[in-house]
Amino acid sequence: MSHFSTVKTELRQLEPLVQALEDLGYTPEQGEKPVRGYRGQTVTADLAVAMQEGGDLGFRWNDQTGAYELVTDLDLWKQTIPIERFLAKLTQRYALNTVLSATDREGFQVSEQRVTQDGSIELVVTRWDA
Amino acid sequence: MRASTRLRMPQRTVRFTIRPDGRVEERVEGVVGDTCQQLTEKLEAALGTVERRESTAESFLQPETQNQTLPAQLN
Repeated sequence: MSHFSTVKTELRQLEPLVQALEDLGYTPEQGEKPVRGYRGQTVTADLAVAMQEGGDLGFRWNDQTGAYELVTDLDLWKQTIPIERFLAKLTQRYALNTVLSATDREGFQVSEQRVTQDGSIELVVTRWDA
Repeated sequence: MRASTRLRMPQRTVRFTIRPDGRVEERVEGVVGDTCQQLTEKLEAALGTVERRESTAESFLQPETQNQTLPAQLN
């Protein structure tokens, strides 16, 4: 049946999350990694991005929500964009990568991909069925 | 199906709008049966929580009209 759904994206899978971070120019390291914060204090995350300036970025799996969550020392946030904007960009990229790989696995091909004025990504995938 | 449309293979089209905050809007067109449901379920499992779901007008049309959907009608 044809239908229309709205999905609130959660960072549920490691692979598209790693990919999304790489797409944004970061170098994430997998495995239990220390995330450095204020005065060298660390917490352990499942995925870490070591930053040259400011605190590191980490992602920790949350069993209760079934998703990865960002862990970082906000006082040391030195990125060019605010953390909310960073998370939004990351989530959008994660969503795009997830959609692209899922539709590819189901035999769909991308026929159109563009960024609209409000910053949304429009993606059209098609498949011909015999 | 009418003779004029039998020559065409049906085209399945899925349109996604991925909002700047990561919210995904998915519009499935011209997909009949389980195939669509499978794709949607896989996607939703990988992505997150479905907030809203509704049938589009296409679900009330005959299958042979699937290819007539114009972008202008969607914007």
